[in-house]
Amino acid sequence: MKNILLFILVLFSITNIHSQSNVNPDISLIGSFSVFTNNVKETPEYGKLNFEIPSMEMYIDGYLNPYSRATANIAYEEGEFGVEELYAQILRGLPLNMQIKAGKYLVGFGKLNAIHPHAWQFIERSLFQQIFFGEEGLNDIGVNFSFILPTESFYSNLDLGIYKGDAIAKTEVLDPEDANSYLDLRGNSPIFIGRLSSFFDLDDYTNLEVGLSGSYGVHTKMNFNTFGDSSAEPENNSLKYFYGGLDFKLKYKPDSYTSLTVQGEGLINNRQVFRQGDIGLNIPIEKIEKINTLGGFIFIDYLFDKQFSVGAKYDFTYGIVDGEPSFNSLSNDDKNKTQGISGWFGYYPIEETLAFRLGVQNISFKYDDGTSQDSETKVTLQMLFSLGPHKAHPF
Amino acid sequence: MKKIFLSALILLFGTLALAEVKVVTTTTIIYDLVKEIGKEKIKVDYICRGDQDPHFLEILPSNMLKLRNADLVFKIGLGLEMWLQQIIDGSRNDKLKLIDLSKDIEKKEIPTGKIDASQGDIHPFGNPHYWLDPENAKIMAKSIYDALSDESPENAKYFKKNLDDYITKLDSKIVEWKTKMSGLKGKPIITFHKSWVYFSDRFGIKIAGQVEPKPGIPPTPSHNAELISNIKKSNIKIILMENYYSDNAPNQLSQSTGVKVIKVANAVYGQSGINSYIQMMDVIVNSLSNNL
Repeated sequence: MKNILLFILVLFSITNIHSQSNVNPDISLIGSFSVFTNNVKETPEYGKLNFEIPSMEMYIDGYLNPYSRATANIAYEEGEFGVEELYAQILRGLPLNMQIKAGKYLVGFGKLNAIHPHAWQFIERSLFQQIFFGEEGLNDIGVNFSFILPTESFYSNLDLGIYKGDAIAKTEVLDPEDANSYLDLRGNSPIFIGRLSSFFDLDDYTNLEVGLSGSYGVHTKMNFNTFGDSSAEPENNSLKYFYGGLDFKLKYKPDSYTSLTVQGEGLINNRQVFRQGDIGLNIPIEKIEKINTLGGFIFIDYLFDKQFSVGAKYDFTYGIVDGEPSFNSLSNDDKNKTQGISGWFGYYPIEETLAFRLGVQNISFKYDDGTSQDSETKVTLQMLFSLGPHKAHPF
Repeated sequence: MKKIFLSALILLFGTLALAEVKVVTTTTIIYDLVKEIGKEKIKVDYICRGDQDPHFLEILPSNMLKLRNADLVFKIGLGLEMWLQQIIDGSRNDKLKLIDLSKDIEKKEIPTGKIDASQGDIHPFGNPHYWLDPENAKIMAKSIYDALSDESPENAKYFKKNLDDYITKLDSKIVEWKTKMSGLKGKPIITFHKSWVYFSDRFGIKIAGQVEPKPGIPPTPSHNAELISNIKKSNIKIILMENYYSDNAPNQLSQSTGVKVIKVANAVYGQSGINSYIQMMDVIVNSLSNNL
């Protein structure tokens, strides 16, 4: 009863948005500037120094009241402003020590997705995330419920969330000048995402986190006839998917000048796909099949003298890395593969207010039908700066 | 039935009477002082190890677990533990009371004028390394006593006796430390970080500079060159530094000038043999006085 009363009070305090306040939120800004070159002869960037439009992320963050806080992340990327994240969290006071996060944010499927790219040790997003979540990662609108599990000797957390599902398959705009010209693949079908993670202090200097993630929902709705009679009235079919994820992070940090991190993630994609076939005599058939694909990465990063880091990463994924995830790339492209090998060197002259990163990534492609495509190598030099208050890094 | 009910009541109240105050401290210094005042009436744990730099700590979920069921969390304050609020938020403990031990301390080096990052990692509310003055340890102990007594009034007398015993012990050690440090009075030393101002003021040492060009900023060759000149000119004999900092730059200064580098822990359990605040001060005072 007491918990329910407190819950109502917390909700009331959050909805009381007109209350007066003389406290300003924290405002900070991350700036990023990159220059790159590649060895892809067909592209205009080949062999040249290509200066990218600087990007920035501005964070506005603060407590709404003793129980909750809110965060906005306004991003400027490729010459356009956008709301990268906008969410509120109820941190305490809820039954079962639950935390609620609602709004638009980077979803915790796996470990890396919820971490902003500027805080990664490397420059390029992992290949499997590009395939299954898109170039911006799994950033979605929804609500997450978080619980600390009653494991006394180690920390365990369970996140359960429901989301709009845009990162799974976006509405595709067919004509930007015509508001009615779009292809809505999913309709109004929320997806579910959860993660169970456990954290262990192996000794004073070594920590391990392991996580299991899952996501389930409809990736496509379409009308077709599964009985093979193309003249019949098509049925409305919902094609479902399940992503299973496994992640780990092992970090050895003997002092504040040195650390060694080994981290990896994997994803299994199980989804229903639409197939057109022929049962002979030129009689077409439309059917649903199930496919299983996967992707993952593993990297090692060594920080030394507090100011330098060096690392390497191996990536593998089903699918050909090229833009946003789509019905075609995820459902029909199941036998093609991309793999990547990256290396990087980081220099942090003074804490993390300024960082320089030099990264090299080689990507190679393997097509099931024998199509050939040369491997691509990209070299990027990046400068990052952090202005304003910045929080301590979570593990 | 009546007997069972009565037994249950006795068991319940018996358990309540034995209930410990659950305390978490940000540093091992506070941990030791809390142990001295609370002894067996409290259960205490700490977040930052003695060999870690308390300015920068990674947010570990295991620390959230420590705070999850705690009644009190003590901090040094003055912006030292910028990481603490994230751990408190992660613990989801809405009954946790946060006690800032800097509230009764006479603060030093409170910056005036516009503060920005060009001045390095400065603390806007004053220098937070006040525990290195043993007179301030007495003030911290008194604040700890106040908080524990508020939390567990039935044990207030017990806490008071422990406080008085500890202050008596500290007073006698302060006399001993002052005697040992008298040979260093007025003499200049260099420190790595700007963390020894309370210590030097208490024992009358003059701090002639820092290895860091500005607080939190790594040593630079040009600043080292300035220090070499200063060390030679002022006949400085000692560089005093915390053992969690790299001694590369101090050792270079030592090779160039012959200045002695004294590397000590400034927290409990920061090095072998330091298991209490008093042992830590013993090691610091002895390291300095033996290198006169």
